[in-house]
Amino acid sequence: MSEILELARAELDARYNRLVALNTSSLCTRCGLCADACHFFLADRDPEVSPAAKTERVRSVYKRDHDWLSRLFPRFTGARELTEDELDAWVDASFQYCTMCERCVINCPMAVDTPAVMAAARGTLTAVGKAPEILVQLADAQIERANSMDLFKDLLKEQIGYLEEELCEATGDPHATIPLEKEGAETLYVALSGAHTILPAAQIFHSAGADWTLSLFEASNYGIFLGDAKRSKAIAQRIIDEATRLKVKEVVITECGHAVFSYRWGVPTWFGELPFKLRSLIEVLAEYVDDGRITLDPSANPEPVTFHDSCNLSRKCGLMQEPRTILAATTEDFREMSPNREQAFCCGAGSGLVAVEEWRETRLGAGRPKAEQIEQTGAKVVVTSCDNCRHQIADLGEHYGLGIEVRNLAEVTARALA
Amino acid sequence: MTAQGFAHFALYDLQLIALGILVLLYAIKIRQLIRLPMPAEGTAADRATTDGRAVAASYASILTPTALESTRQHWGRWLAFAGYHLGILVAILATFTIPFTPALMTKPVRVFCAATILIGLLAGFLKIAWRLTIPELRVISKPDDFFGLAVLQLWFLVAIPAILLDHIGWLTVYFVITALLLVYVPLSKISHYIYWFFSRYLIGQKYGRRGVF
Repeated sequence: MSEILELARAELDARYNRLVALNTSSLCTRCGLCADACHFFLADRDPEVSPAAKTERVRSVYKRDHDWLSRLFPRFTGARELTEDELDAWVDASFQYCTMCERCVINCPMAVDTPAVMAAARGTLTAVGKAPEILVQLADAQIERANSMDLFKDLLKEQIGYLEEELCEATGDPHATIPLEKEGAETLYVALSGAHTILPAAQIFHSAGADWTLSLFEASNYGIFLGDAKRSKAIAQRIIDEATRLKVKEVVITECGHAVFSYRWGVPTWFGELPFKLRSLIEVLAEYVDDGRITLDPSANPEPVTFHDSCNLSRKCGLMQEPRTILAATTEDFREMSPNREQAFCCGAGSGLVAVEEWRETRLGAGRPKAEQIEQTGAKVVVTSCDNCRHQIADLGEHYGLGIEVRNLAEVTARALA
Repeated sequence: MTAQGFAHFALYDLQLIALGILVLLYAIKIRQLIRLPMPAEGTAADRATTDGRAVAASYASILTPTALESTRQHWGRWLAFAGYHLGILVAILATFTIPFTPALMTKPVRVFCAATILIGLLAGFLKIAWRLTIPELRVISKPDDFFGLAVLQLWFLVAIPAILLDHIGWLTVYFVITALLLVYVPLSKISHYIYWFFSRYLIGQKYGRRGVF
């Protein structure tokens, strides 16, 4: 057996927990009802990319090792040997044609947890060096940034300085600031590397009179996409250390689906109870709206607006009402897509797919159900609370000629600040 | 052994032996499963929280085809599923009532049982046809899918005259096939019904915790 296969075998065994065992057992009846729940299948009805077909690739290898009948009669049950070709096929099945959106899970009569199996495949591929290189590089760069923060700090401060000038102009307050490393602040706000996740939030915090400070790090966590708990934990560690050092009461994660998912469920798993709260920006914004901490004028957003539920925020974190509370207070003509909330379709580019340039055509094809949904609403503005989705929907708008603008909730809210 | 003697063996002793093997095989499989660690999500407090309503909703989805988009879109497939599994349930129950409570098996009851199994049989033919003709189903179908369906069709075919006619020959064949199935089921994909209880619980727990169900 080659070194790669030995390593892959060890990884697969290490990941064989109760959830993976259950979902690689005979639980899946291969009824095929999951197909219509998957945006990859709906894009061109290729039977090879239905959730059951993709999961079966990985399941068939596990069955070869763990299922009694498959050990004796592998051809009878479709069990397969682990080979390098098989691992290559897993790259397509788990990274290129599955965004781990969980839509198939909630529509499966047997409740097969496809992403649980796909995560095992992704983690194994990462360990043997077959994961998309760009995702590995991005994850490692995030870890490296923490090790050499002093190199980046001055550059960051300079960029924040420019944003502060814009903030002063937008708020009409010459003393408005974007605080960095403010010890004892109530809130540590973790943004992404883009002004659209910093400036609107800063305007809202300013308007609400919040005591906050901006994180030196970005919220995203590329380790999650790799199914690599070690890297994911190391990336999250940066924020945990920063929040602990600054003695904040709360960490607020910006509008980034996988980041909110990783901080809501991953961080407590890896670090246990923390001395501060963890929330998403959209929960904070909805609270500001409910408590009347900010004054809003919906006429600032008069265009027809629709909302795309990010899979990570809706199905994986249950944040479905908060965006609607915010949009009801900030827009004049809000139109729901159908289906929405926990039944919303993935944009087609989640779980790192958006970062892999050579799979652009795949994600644009997989986004067709979403493009059709958007078109049916007649909306001119699509609001979403995830940067991956934002990027993909903007590309879908261009590709399918939808004539739309894409904004996040903070941008829509900042525009409506009276 | 006489034909009468073998029939008695098939209806009683053979069933008990086969049931014993089934229970033993499932006990081993379930033990293997629950000995594995469960991956964590959230804090210990999160994990300790189980929303009973979410778990109940998860289980109830089997009875409410409107609960899942997949069954709303494919109501014909859900009807076939319901008819097929009802046929199986009645065919199993009959293997207990015939030897142990024969007084229950009056003529109307036998007709009802045979009619229900006939529905299961027809649903089984539909399931085979769909596996052969629907592309996304054909791609994922394996020999054991067809074997499982074929064996159950044979079982249904034998169960109908056995129950309806109460004929010793048909009954013997029915109970021999039942015994073989009892041994085969825990080894095969037919054992999905056992895993379903675990997966529905875990999914109800997970999405309940997340505030989705």
